[in-house]
Amino acid sequence: MVLEINELKKVSFFDNYSDDHLKIISKISTIKEFSVKEILFEQYDKLSDLYILLEGTLSLGISLPKEKRIHLSNIQPGQMFSWSAGFEPCISTAWVKATSPTKVMAIDAKKLQSEFKKDCEFGFITISKIARTISNRLSDTRFQLMNQLTL
Amino acid sequence: MASDNIYKVLKATVEEVIDESPLIKTFVLTPESPFKFSTGEFIELTLNGFGEAPFTPSSSPLISDKLEITIMKTGYVTEKFHMLKPGEVLGIRGPFGRGYPVEKFYGKEVLILGGGCGLAPIRSLLYALEAVRDNLKRVVLCYGSKSPADCIYKPLFNRLNKIEKFETYRTVDKYEPGWDESVGVVTTLLDRVNMDIENSVAIVCGPPIMMKFGTIRLLEMGYKDAQIYLSMEKNMSCGAGKCGHCMMGEFFVCKDGPVFTYEEVKHTPDLWK
Repeated sequence: MVLEINELKKVSFFDNYSDDHLKIISKISTIKEFSVKEILFEQYDKLSDLYILLEGTLSLGISLPKEKRIHLSNIQPGQMFSWSAGFEPCISTAWVKATSPTKVMAIDAKKLQSEFKKDCEFGFITISKIARTISNRLSDTRFQLMNQLTL
Repeated sequence: MASDNIYKVLKATVEEVIDESPLIKTFVLTPESPFKFSTGEFIELTLNGFGEAPFTPSSSPLISDKLEITIMKTGYVTEKFHMLKPGEVLGIRGPFGRGYPVEKFYGKEVLILGGGCGLAPIRSLLYALEAVRDNLKRVVLCYGSKSPADCIYKPLFNRLNKIEKFETYRTVDKYEPGWDESVGVVTTLLDRVNMDIENSVAIVCGPPIMMKFGTIRLLEMGYKDAQIYLSMEKNMSCGAGKCGHCMMGEFFVCKDGPVFTYEEVKHTPDLWK
């Protein structure tokens, strides 16, 4: 199953993409569904797809020794995750689990990188958005750390 | 002002004590005569024999025969406040300071970022905004607390979500079973709200760390310095610009604030300490 361009335009991650860019994304992505409590991937898994959450809610966290999971934050519709798939060694820095019935768009990372080589503007726009996601997550993590340090 | 004499104390009787969270209580007070304040202004609350401390009322500024003060137990005086029972008498001085300029929000979307006990002055603001909601485009409250148990004013969120133009979002730092809303620091809620930034204002109130990271995120979203309002309730003591304890750069928080725009204070050394 794929999303048509008109559907992609409703997803906030794809703001400012041209129709040509959206056509490329539609061509190299699939839709996946997950049920409640289903794990999309574990921390340290090798990843091959960039994900955009379309519907539902996901929780993101890290694992500690003795199988303890720490739930750090939620992922909301329109947000990108699994960014590690785009950068070697493509190892996930967190686990992600569905907390409601969920629909995600999985974009083949290798195919996406091939498209970037043909269209640098497409690459720049996408990498900028990924960088913003990582930056926000880093800022939130520092916020959490400072909260803990001042307890 | 309770009196033209800023040192004169108005008596107020404790009517009810509400447990909001393990460390936070709301005291419902009946002043001996009507007490008026503007949202965001603060009062000095006196407990005879123990001391006086500044607090921003959390009740509606439209109601003058009742006053609600939300107090977090953090030290000697607040610990004594927490021991109060209905029927006991306190003293009020004020109101003091500069509150929220609600008329400047007319025609705009209002984004409110609150953390922990910082929701206390914000609740007063929400009451004020509710009264003038016909003049506002939208009001969005993003609130974060350490855990579900630390989330205060729980009935407020249900009530606000039923009011036209009002939306609320909550998050907790630490997940506990049974919590079905967001998890993460309060800035994560900003990814969801989709504001018309050019035609909105943002209000931030909470612990200094939260205010720092919240302000940074708002600036990254595109808010200008003058669009961000901060409630800088720090180190206030006399409430009258006399002791100098609350000096923040060139400002007295008690006289020039506690509400400032980020534009006014962004160059202040140690702003977030």
